[in-house]
Amino acid sequence: FRACSMSRVFFYFFEILKYILPETMPSYKLTYFDTQGFAEVSRQLFALSDTPFEDNRLPREEWPEYQKCTPFGKMPVLEVDGQKLPQSFAIARFLARKFGFAGKTEWEQAWVDALGDQFKDYLNAFLPFFRVAFGTATGDLEAMKKSDGEPIRDNFFGILEKQAKDNGSTGFLVGSSLTWIDLIVADHMGVVEYHLPHFLDGFPEVQRVRRNVIETPKIKEWLEKRPERPY
Amino acid sequence: IFSFSSQKSHHFSRLSAMSVYKLFYFDIRGRGEVVRQTLALAGIPFEDIRLPRPADGPQWAEFKSKTPFGQMPVLEVDGKQIPQAFAISRFIASQHGLAGATAFEAAWVDAIADQWKDFHTEFSKFLFVKLGFREGNEKLLKAEHGIPSLDNFFPLIEKQLKETGSGFLVGDSVTWVDLLIAEAVQVISTAEPDFLDAFPEVLKHEQKIHAIPLIKKWIENRPEQRR
Repeated sequence: FRACSMSRVFFYFFEILKYILPETMPSYKLTYFDTQGFAEVSRQLFALSDTPFEDNRLPREEWPEYQKCTPFGKMPVLEVDGQKLPQSFAIARFLARKFGFAGKTEWEQAWVDALGDQFKDYLNAFLPFFRVAFGTATGDLEAMKKSDGEPIRDNFFGILEKQAKDNGSTGFLVGSSLTWIDLIVADHMGVVEYHLPHFLDGFPEVQRVRRNVIETPKIKEWLEKRPERPY
Repeated sequence: IFSFSSQKSHHFSRLSAMSVYKLFYFDIRGRGEVVRQTLALAGIPFEDIRLPRPADGPQWAEFKSKTPFGQMPVLEVDGKQIPQAFAISRFIASQHGLAGATAFEAAWVDAIADQWKDFHTEFSKFLFVKLGFREGNEKLLKAEHGIPSLDNFFPLIEKQLKETGSGFLVGDSVTWVDLLIAEAVQVISTAEPDFLDAFPEVLKHEQKIHAIPLIKKWIENRPEQRR
């Protein structure tokens, strides 16, 4: 209850502030668990654009209470001047468009979106195996690697490898500058390689994209200061 | 080279300044329907290319390697391809005032669509068995996946409709997610007539969206309606 009513207070506070000071930058608060997960791409967008935001990492025990105030019962939730927005990709796309990391033309934006949705489909298929690799589910890791992990990986990373190559091996998946799909892929690769070293060695173009992301100064800086979590 | 059964709307000559749109999907509503309806509502003539199921012909096996992700739907605009139904729908909608009036509204359109996708991933475990696409224990799947996912998702849509008060899911005009949800409601209501009775706003919304003249006309003329 308290979390919901505080949002209302912030919302009205910022409505009044916007009236008095029309040039005020919006205030951003991103709420998620204390992990990278589905919030990391948005945190990186804030870092890339030098936009201050409240990185609200919710302790697990506070989740049941906070959940009641979320629009869809899930996190992450972005608050923009107190107005809530759920769903990680909707949030990432909203921020990316605002800060200039969504693709430079409508066509590029559509391709970033398409790759994003393909990533989501891939992750849904990959997670049962991946959870065993994390240790959050039980199973025969080696057997699942052969039956699920490798074929699912090869299908999706094959698509990414071709996309990166067709895009001119520039180190960007789409266009000629960083987009949120580059961030998502790079972050995911970091998590995979932490748990399954060398699992993604066979994709040199995608590795180039990943290096490009993590060597971008503002991302490098963020990676050095963010809390390190296993996923 | 391929011969598909295609529903040609208009042809534009090479001299026309307008782009040429071709949509490739199977001969079903499925994931393609939201794209077709978005194109129809945007007033964009397109070639509605419907490939036979793999069991009925080699066309998909031959075309698959020519698609970006080995999947459909794929939209071709002047020969350039874009895959993924939501990316396509948003691309078309954004250029025709069907994606939300502000950046924040557009984000809410996206959020509802993604929430539907999460729902559908779960719900289809029951629905596809009910519709005969897969084998399975229909009663068990309905109890374990159908009802719980329905009860998680549609209260959100009901609440959203009550909050906007406009009859639309976001803001006060139609967006591509209205088409997505109304189509889903039609599919579910056809498969299980009383399944959504607890959600009167949702049912009203489906009626309203399918009464929009360009959508009504699309539905009346689509191949599925004439079977």
